[in-house]
Amino acid sequence: MNVTLIDSPVANTANIARALQAVGADVRLTRDAGVIAAASKIVLPGVGSFRAAMTWVIANEIDAVIRRAIAGGASLLGICVGHQILFDASEEMGNTAGLGLVRGNVRKLQGTLPVPQIGWNRVQFDANPLFDGVAAGTPFYFVNSYAASNAEAEIASARYGARFTAAVQSERVFGVQFHPEKSSTAGLRVLRNFVEKIR
Amino acid sequence: MPSLDILGGRVVRLSRGNFSAVTKYGSVDAVLEKLSLPAGTPLHVVDLEGSRDGRPGALDVVRRLVRRDLRVQAGGGVRTPADARLWFDAGAERIVVGTITADDPRLLEQLVGSFGASRIIPAVDLSNGAIRIAGWTRETAAPLASVLRRIEQTGIEEILVTDIARDGVLAGPSLALYRRLAHETRLRVIASGGVSTLGDIVSVARMPNVSGCVIGRALLDGRFTLTEARERAAAPNAMPERIIPCLDVCDGRVVKGINFAGIRDAGDPVECVRRYEAEGADEIVVLDISASDRGVATSVETVRRIADAIFIPLTVGGGVRSVEDFRAMLRAGADRVAINTAAVQRPELIGEAAKEFGVQAVVLSCDAKRVGDRFEVVIRSGKESTGIDAVEWCRRAEQLGVGEILLTSVDRDGTNIGYDLDLLRAITAAVRISVIASGGAGTVEHFADAIASGGARAALAASLFHDRRLTISDVKAHLTSEGIPVR
Repeated sequence: MNVTLIDSPVANTANIARALQAVGADVRLTRDAGVIAAASKIVLPGVGSFRAAMTWVIANEIDAVIRRAIAGGASLLGICVGHQILFDASEEMGNTAGLGLVRGNVRKLQGTLPVPQIGWNRVQFDANPLFDGVAAGTPFYFVNSYAASNAEAEIASARYGARFTAAVQSERVFGVQFHPEKSSTAGLRVLRNFVEKIR
Repeated sequence: MPSLDILGGRVVRLSRGNFSAVTKYGSVDAVLEKLSLPAGTPLHVVDLEGSRDGRPGALDVVRRLVRRDLRVQAGGGVRTPADARLWFDAGAERIVVGTITADDPRLLEQLVGSFGASRIIPAVDLSNGAIRIAGWTRETAAPLASVLRRIEQTGIEEILVTDIARDGVLAGPSLALYRRLAHETRLRVIASGGVSTLGDIVSVARMPNVSGCVIGRALLDGRFTLTEARERAAAPNAMPERIIPCLDVCDGRVVKGINFAGIRDAGDPVECVRRYEAEGADEIVVLDISASDRGVATSVETVRRIADAIFIPLTVGGGVRSVEDFRAMLRAGADRVAINTAAVQRPELIGEAAKEFGVQAVVLSCDAKRVGDRFEVVIRSGKESTGIDAVEWCRRAEQLGVGEILLTSVDRDGTNIGYDLDLLRAITAAVRISVIASGGAGTVEHFADAIASGGARAALAASLFHDRRLTISDVKAHLTSEGIPVR
């Protein structure tokens, strides 16, 4: 199965590419608009700041290309900040608009625990093809200071001081706040599910 | 639950129950101002004079607290039902009774009959396993087991347990005592004494028989707030604690040494990390001990090979001196970079790296050595003392922008006699970010101690895992049996 991994400079693409390959994907790492628009399975990575990620996406017109691909039937998985920019906006550094593919806003993690949250955290979810073969409550690896909460499209949640959205699905658009590529067998299973089970 | 000890109408703390070792915190109003407790907060009030003299004395204080909408649980000096009536009339929701639980079981039954079992909390104050009464000034002959039985028979479900040896000295709660009580009684325990860090709160919240804890000095001294404490206690098992195998590498090979000296070859790093991930390692730490002399260029290739072999987080260190070194390590596949000597020599590096790569990418590796009753930072792989206080340094590094602290006891490194819990407690009490315990692990119990008593959020070991004296699964099985959540 071909997977198009968007080659954002604001991301750790090497680790994600390696993890996708480990679950049997044929990974194309690209910034080419034509390739992305024609893709059937897209992974949108991202680390660091929401604004930096969005700035790059807009400057390279990746937003329009992603929309076109999805309209044409592609499925997409956003990871970490790649998940966050799927939302309408983030309050990081004032207010920054996102891709608006998923309803809701990204906010600073609530509570008094130190941010960023760094580490394994249990993820709760109901049955979803993305989590096939993974038990609810399985820990995944997170590194984040911001997150959506109670998103309409939420399919998984976790707690860090307060509850936050750990994964979303809006039709063929998926997003995970954690790092599947760093979450050992459970993370690889989520990637494999995306590669094999999501149409 | 915050606790106020009242003496002469003012808030004080006694150390180990000693009336001649008094710390004064000022008037009740001044203290409430400082704690800024929201309405409805339960508050534990100990009337020290009442407890010593055998009659309630701080009734007026209770009235004032109740007028502020605080829910008071009061104790001290209840010897008769009339004494109890005085507390309830003053507005206390529940009363704590100590002396009579050991001396006069009939009275306990009377109190339950008059006021209800849920409003009476027997206090069991223990010193070396013996019950102490009357303001802790004398010991009782009643054995603990029979006192617990009598309490259970009255229909009471909750007791307040204080380990006098730990009270007011910030040494950590008596986890072993509470665990023992879980076997001896079905009574729920309100833990009291020694809770001094947020880690302590998590540790007591993880004990199934502990229903709450009272916090005195730690809140009064402003070590943390009630909100912070409640948040940590709310979901103590949400985040599993991490077990981290560490590889010391030199010229691309795993090596091992004792007390930072006497190095020998111990294998291929890639084989090693693959095995560790399969065994359940939560993260890998790689320290290139050759890099501190030769720079990071030599370790980049090793890091790349290791990063390619695993799907768990990788922290690397050794010889990192600049933002460019950070970049090289992160590009090679590291998730986080540990800095030690360079940060001590030029603390600004922490902020520079945090700004460029984010706080999560910056780990402070702090090697500390015991010097008298304090801990000093040592650098250059343990070769050089700096005279810098380790607590101060970790606190400063947190402010400058490190995401986590890898804390190594140079004294314990390679000894297998256990982590230095004093060092861990000193640092975990001083910072909010999580601390990885390192240096001294030898048994599965040591890992549990580092987390439950030391307050570490992760525990690291090198040769212990490398030589297969323990597997990561052995450690995790033990932590699970101790109620510590693991992945």
